Amino acid sequence: MLVKVASAANIGLEMIGIDVEVNVASRGLPAFDIVGLPDKAVAESKERVKTAILSSDVDFPNKKITVNLAPADIPKEGASYDLPIAVGILATAVSCQIPEKSLFFGELSLDGSLRHTKGALLLALFAKEAGFKNIFVPKDSANEAAVIKGINVFPVENLIQLLRHFSGKEAVKSLTPGVDEKTPGVCVEAEFDMAEILGQEQAKRAMEIAAAGGHNILLIGSPGAGKTMLARALPGILPLLADEESLEVTKIYSAAGQIPAGGSLLRVPPFRSPHHTASSVGLIGGGQRPPPGEISLAHRGVLFLDEFNEFPRAVLEAMRQPLEDGQLTISRAKERVKYPARFMLLASANPCPCGYLNHPKKACICSLRQIKKYQKRVSGPILDRIDLHIDVPPVDIRELSENQKASEFLEPSEKIRQRVTQARNIQRQRFGDEHIFTNAEMKNPQVKKYCNLSKPAEQILQQAGLKFQLSARAYLKMIKVARTIADLEGSPDIGIPHMAEALQYRPKSYEA
Amino acid sequence: MNIITIENKKYPELLKKIGKGAPKQLYYKGEWQEDIFTNCLAVVGSRQMTSYGKRVVEQIVTEVAAAGITIVSGFMYGVDAAAHKAALLAGGKTIAVMPCGIDLIHPEYQQDLYGEILKNNGLVISEYEGSFAPTLWTYPRRNRIVAGLSKAVLVVEAGEKSGSLITANYARKFKRKLFVVPGPITSENSKGIMELLKQGATPISSAKDILDYYPADCRCLTSTEPLMLNIYKCDNLEQKIIDLLKRESSEIDVLARTFEMPVSKMGTTLSLMQLQGLIKQEGNKYYVN
Repeated sequence: MLVKVASAANIGLEMIGIDVEVNVASRGLPAFDIVGLPDKAVAESKERVKTAILSSDVDFPNKKITVNLAPADIPKEGASYDLPIAVGILATAVSCQIPEKSLFFGELSLDGSLRHTKGALLLALFAKEAGFKNIFVPKDSANEAAVIKGINVFPVENLIQLLRHFSGKEAVKSLTPGVDEKTPGVCVEAEFDMAEILGQEQAKRAMEIAAAGGHNILLIGSPGAGKTMLARALPGILPLLADEESLEVTKIYSAAGQIPAGGSLLRVPPFRSPHHTASSVGLIGGGQRPPPGEISLAHRGVLFLDEFNEFPRAVLEAMRQPLEDGQLTISRAKERVKYPARFMLLASANPCPCGYLNHPKKACICSLRQIKKYQKRVSGPILDRIDLHIDVPPVDIRELSENQKASEFLEPSEKIRQRVTQARNIQRQRFGDEHIFTNAEMKNPQVKKYCNLSKPAEQILQQAGLKFQLSARAYLKMIKVARTIADLEGSPDIGIPHMAEALQYRPKSYEA
Repeated sequence: MNIITIENKKYPELLKKIGKGAPKQLYYKGEWQEDIFTNCLAVVGSRQMTSYGKRVVEQIVTEVAAAGITIVSGFMYGVDAAAHKAALLAGGKTIAVMPCGIDLIHPEYQQDLYGEILKNNGLVISEYEGSFAPTLWTYPRRNRIVAGLSKAVLVVEAGEKSGSLITANYARKFKRKLFVVPGPITSENSKGIMELLKQGATPISSAKDILDYYPADCRCLTSTEPLMLNIYKCDNLEQKIIDLLKRESSEIDVLARTFEMPVSKMGTTLSLMQLQGLIKQEGNKYYVN
């Protein structure tokens, strides 16, 4: 008897419908075979399925069983086919009716229970598009799938429960979509509060601007000046993800299998900080079935590259195109995968190999040649894509802690976050149908359209262009940054103060 | 080949006076005009120049070079290169004494400066021929020519073991005047200077201290007066900032704290002042222009 069960295969952020055909032949020697380009995990599925069915007090049919995963030419990987295969066998073994227009997805445990499986959200999205009504997923993955409205998500605990559901004895309650909306507001927790950082007023201000406009930012300073502390405090001033953004991010994390069991939509903007020994495949994504790399996992969040100059040049260069386009296509011989990668780059670096260039107390021991070589490790095009360049000078903590405590400069992160959120809302309204969310994403025509420079502000920019020898791209960056500064103030036009402040964050040369 | 031997009449008098150590021959690039050697000042100092050193060189050397005095230095990066640059900017003459063969540019990445020196009637000289590579012992030997050519030596920033101290030693040996620029005693770059001061070097506080040492008739060029600040109308805050920066260069964070205002507003003010040319930024500190 032949039974067809619907499931899906995951390629990048896409899903492809897979028919799991299970045939239990009435004649032939007992056997259990899976065909249709299964990988190791799928091939091993037969041992899990067999034991899980036996553990569920059902006799495993001692017949010739053939499972075909169609279409046969797409390689199948992962353990998510356990459930559809088991369902196909159960349908013949206990002759129950499988509900129509249903998708099955999930990994089995030997005791017959279902385990958290990656990709449930993508499955739900696919189910909705392809016109399925019900999806049966492991209980731990159900919250994730329930984000999508318009389909019934059945959280399945084990095979026995599923059989009872089929026979109508006890129905599994489907999850109502949009559960997450009732969950209380998630709180962003950062390692440090901005108020804990003494001094560094300008660096903190630059972080605020970067957070508000989604600008890339580079912190340069001596060891111990507080670069890493500033970076670690950044999540505390970022606003929570909006619905649309949140769905984008959750899709990527679902594909990467990084959503914890029971997890739902991700509301907190991701903060990724790969070590500088990261390979370009790790950072960008790639490999045989390319999983998302760090830059995609940082989508709509922050990619923190500490010791920026220590990253291999090839790895950094690979980020150029995604930095510009906000997405990347990984092309391999057999498949092409597209991942979004619209992240805010937060980089920190020392000014020279020894780290003490321009330090007020310690002498730098590097030669000019060494300094130039060190700074050349990051290419011009990459630096050109960083909007805010900021010095983090060393501070005398003892002196500061005495006269700065309780001063107005020590703003808590929460207060800064309110301003940032407000500025983000202004941007969202402005860009309504442009499919961008932040000022940093503006391209040339949008800058022309949305950045009203007052006449004197324009003059200042031109003057600065001559004085500081700004490139054409630097011009554009300055305007974008000025736009964000104006947004933080709630000003519709870019005035002199905004433009002048933006000039503070231009790239500076670090020659001694 | 461009070569001047010690027997040649054109060989600089002052250098000949150092006696046995005087180089037997000098190779050179550029045009050999004897009057370039009449009034020379050697400017030497640390390779790890601080922003203070740079400012001093720019201020003092510009004025001295504009007064018609030839600036002699060793073409190293740091104070040497800054001195050559300042002399060129002031429209003055400058001589670079190389520690290597005359055909080499060392350090190589300063070839722009090298070209500028030759273009502006400057000289590049060396006692070594061809493409002889610089070695550890050629640097100190080069310094004796730097000191030997000059009536006086000015040392700007020198650490404990700076090569400039060797030049200063030669200056004393050759009985040339030794000027030093005092620096903050907390700086590594002042340790050598302090030693020289204790041994009796003359501290200077302005270009005038040096110019007074040279004959008055050398001042063929008009001295460039520093730009007057009151061309622009400063508002109250700007004036206060200028007053503070005149005493001590400062970072934006410190300025914001001192005047108790948000750093964003301070940034705006400083940018505007910078555009007007009232102040300038070096490293992460601001200075009065």
